[in-house]
Parts: sequence; structure tokens; C-alpha cells
Amino acid sequence: MGLPDSSQDLSTEMEVDAFRRIFPLRFFERHLSESLRPDARPLGKARDTIVNPGLVSTADGSALAKIGSTTMLAAIRMEVMTPSTDSPDEGCIALEFHMPPICSPTVRPGRPADAAPVISKRLSDTILSSGMIDLKELCLVSGKAAWMGYLDIYCLNADGALFDAALLSAVAAFSNLEIPVVALNDNGRIVAISGGKDEDNASIIEKKAVNKEKRKLTLKNIPFSLTCILHKKYILADPTTEEESIMDTLVTVVLDSSDQMVSLYKSGGTVLAYSSAVKSCVELARKRAKELKQILGEMDID
Amino acid sequence: MEYVNPEGLRLDGRRFNEMRQIVAEVGVVSKADGSAVFEMGNTKVIAAVYGPREIQNKSLQKKDDHALVLCEYSMAQFSTGDRRRQKFDRRSTELSLVIRQTMEACILTELLPHSQIDIFLQVLQADGGTRSACINAATLALADAGIPMRDLAVSCSAGYLNSTPLLDLNYVEDSAGGADVTVGILPKLDKVTLLQMDAKLPMETFKTVFALASEGCKAIAERIREVLQENTKQLEYRRAA
Repeated sequence: MGLPDSSQDLSTEMEVDAFRRIFPLRFFERHLSESLRPDARPLGKARDTIVNPGLVSTADGSALAKIGSTTMLAAIRMEVMTPSTDSPDEGCIALEFHMPPICSPTVRPGRPADAAPVISKRLSDTILSSGMIDLKELCLVSGKAAWMGYLDIYCLNADGALFDAALLSAVAAFSNLEIPVVALNDNGRIVAISGGKDEDNASIIEKKAVNKEKRKLTLKNIPFSLTCILHKKYILADPTTEEESIMDTLVTVVLDSSDQMVSLYKSGGTVLAYSSAVKSCVELARKRAKELKQILGEMDID
Repeated sequence: MEYVNPEGLRLDGRRFNEMRQIVAEVGVVSKADGSAVFEMGNTKVIAAVYGPREIQNKSLQKKDDHALVLCEYSMAQFSTGDRRRQKFDRRSTELSLVIRQTMEACILTELLPHSQIDIFLQVLQADGGTRSACINAATLALADAGIPMRDLAVSCSAGYLNSTPLLDLNYVEDSAGGADVTVGILPKLDKVTLLQMDAKLPMETFKTVFALASEGCKAIAERIREVLQENTKQLEYRRAA
């Protein structure tokens, strides 16, 4: 870059905001050399995280997760479907991640954001492979009826670390989920029970335990994730959009509640990660998983 | 079905001229130039305004010396009682157009030539009156973005069931098959920007229902003004500090 000297000269004369816009990398490096970031966070610390369950009354389970300004709203609707022949005892989860144009100035209407389908797929893979949900719990009548859960995650404000916030909101929505009460009527169809009517109760077959009251799913091996940026010799946890746009090497580590690694994701970038860098990322992720576990625990008690 | 019982109470316990509870907040999407959440009862809408910014698609620009106003209305998949909606169905397109024209009438577009103002509306929960909630949210978001407007555009709906005019219909009342009149007003100028009605009504009844909806609009305008003034006070405190 042929400009380093000129930026040194200008830095003393320019306003901070102008310097931040024109020489973003130098602005950040000035902070990193003091082990700080512009929002005064230490390098390994994530932003304030809030989780709020049960916001959408039309859904069977929902949660809002905020990491700093990044806001995700997840909601689950359950529908009955026929299970496939090779897994007659299992239900199904369909996950979709949306980035509506309200969330970011870079998303244009009519053109879906580049990041949206990528995050959608990664989330889907992570949740299914972590084994958090036992699909057998979603079965109603073996071979004939099972639950299909449609999980929709909407990004309401995109300020970096989208995958982390989306995963957190999905996990919180699942722990908030209450499976509706249904019965099998005489035609062999599943119908929803609104009040408790005797003729409906009489036609419930062997799924009594499932249908008596609204039940929750048992979640084991809950996945927690942390995205880090690698830049020269620094590792920054939980980046904002500004940081992500300047430094392009992102590493996402997903650990579950029993400290096993569920997924590791590094999709290129200018910085090559040595094993020491990867180990540091995993350490940071471990600490973050403890924080998140506590936040989710507090949410459940409410 | 009885929508208004003999004592004059509706299904959710309101009287005929009572609106649902309104919750309004400004500045919820930090990345947007202006944003707002507007709730009317169980109907929740988020509006985000990006602009004025550079025009992205020059072919859409019709008037050179006026700003281009674009609007997109979309409903979340979980927003209604029955399952998924197709993302861009005809209703969403119609509402995008209606809301765009309503807001365009009240923005001073001649002050911002060669630029584009984007209004994005996301319905998180729909329980009747989404059109009105969207217009109110858009007004708040435009004010938060500092875009010059002639007046605040406010909107409210009213209907006619069981021989009673009813203010601010919820989803059950709306789907009852009676008339549904949505009115959009610029309160200080006392002008109507939006007027839509489905179903038949005799002329006199229509006048009563329209007057009721206008009253509702004025009440919402008061509320919106309070929210904006409170917000300005907060900004002032922060600036002084």
C-alpha cells in the first residue's frame, strides 16, 4: 500500500470519525496494539447478550436473542405430517433464516442477502448434527403421523456475529417450545384439541402420554457458538459488522454443553490459522459457552 | 355470531369506540437511519427507513427533481394463525403500493432530489389492522430518520357489525364479513390520504364509520407526537451530557 506515510501525517490533523472512515484498518490496529477495541471491549470478550423467550403468541415456541445490537427473532410452528418410510418413527425440523431489508443497509429488496442461505444451511447442519433434538420425540403415531417443526429465524438488526445470535435464538426457541395437544379422531386424522372435550379424549389411542398436556422437548447437547476474527497475531471475539468488513478471516467454533466440539468453520480469508490460533479460538468458545449456558438457564427459570 | 353483546362489549371487552392498546418505540434497529416498532393490540410491526441515499436503480426514477420513495411490506412466516405465507403474494404487493403512495404524499420529496428513501415494513404478528399499524410505524421511522414531512400520516380502521360502528377491528372482527374502512389522515392539515373500504354500506352509515375512524386517527396522532417529543428530549439530554 503506497499510502502509509500520508496516513501518519494526516492522523494528527484529522477528526477521529473521518480517520475511522478513511483508514479503518489503521484505526483498528491502533486500538488492537493496546489490546482494546473501539467499543472498549477487551479482545476476547463478547458483547452483552440478552435472551427473551415467548414473544410471538401466534407461534408454538419463540425467542428473541440480542448480542450487542444484533437482534434475531426465532419462532417455531408445529404441523402434523406423515413421516417418511425409511424413518417412520421420526419427525422433522425445517429451518429457514431470513434477512429482511430492515436489518441492514446492504440488503436490497428483491435480492436476498448473500449471507442468508449460507447461515441457513450452517444452522440447519449444526442443529441436526449436534443431536440436540431427538426426532423420535416428535413422533405421534408410528408410520402415520409425526410433527414437522418449521423454525423461522428473522434477523431484525445485523451488526456482526449473525450465526452466533441465530443459533442462540434457535436454541432458546426450542427450549420455549410447547408441543400442542392433539388427538386422533375417528377418521384417523389428527385434530388439535382446544378445550378438553370428552369425545375427543375418548378417541385418543396409545399416545396418551403425548397428548394429555402441552409438553416440552428434552434438549441434550445444546450447541453454543462463538465467531472470532483472526488478524495478524490478534484474535477478536464476537465481531461487529464494521470489524467484519475490514478484517475478513472469520472462524466459528461450536461446542456443546458437554464440552465436545460440534463444528469448526473457517471459510478462507487472508490470514492462515496455525493450530495455536485454532486452540485459542476453542478456548474462547469454551468460556463463551459457559456464559451462554448461564444465560439460557436463567431464561428457563422465568 | 355476536360481536357486540347487549351491554355493548365486544369480544375482547372493548366498547365500540375504544382502540386496542398502543405501544410505540423509536430507534429499535441501530443499523437503520430511522426505525420504529408499532403495536396495536396483538398486531406488531417493525418499520425501518434507509435514506436519503443514492438511487440504486435509475430506471425507477420518474421525476428528476424529487426523491424516489420505495416501500416493501412483508409478513413473517409465523405472523398469522394459519401456517406459512408465500413471501411475496399479491396482498403484500398491493399493501406495499398503498403504503408507498400514502407516505409519498406526506414526505417533502422536492427537498431531496436525486435520492432514494427506502421504507421497509416487517409484520411480526398480525391480528387485524396491519395496514394501519404499518403506516403509523412508517411515520415514526421517517421522523426518526429526520426526513422532512408535511405532517404525520396516521391511520386507523373501523367497521360495522351487529348494527354498531366499531373502532379498530381485530382479526376476528375483520373476518366477520362486515364492512372494513381504513382511513389515513394528515391530522394537522386535516386531509385524507388513504381511504379504503370493502363490502357494502349505506351512505349515512359510511359517514358515521368514517367519522369514528378519523377520531381514532387523531388519538393515534396524539400518541405518536408524545413518543417523538419524549425521544427528542432523550436526545437532548444525551447531547447536553
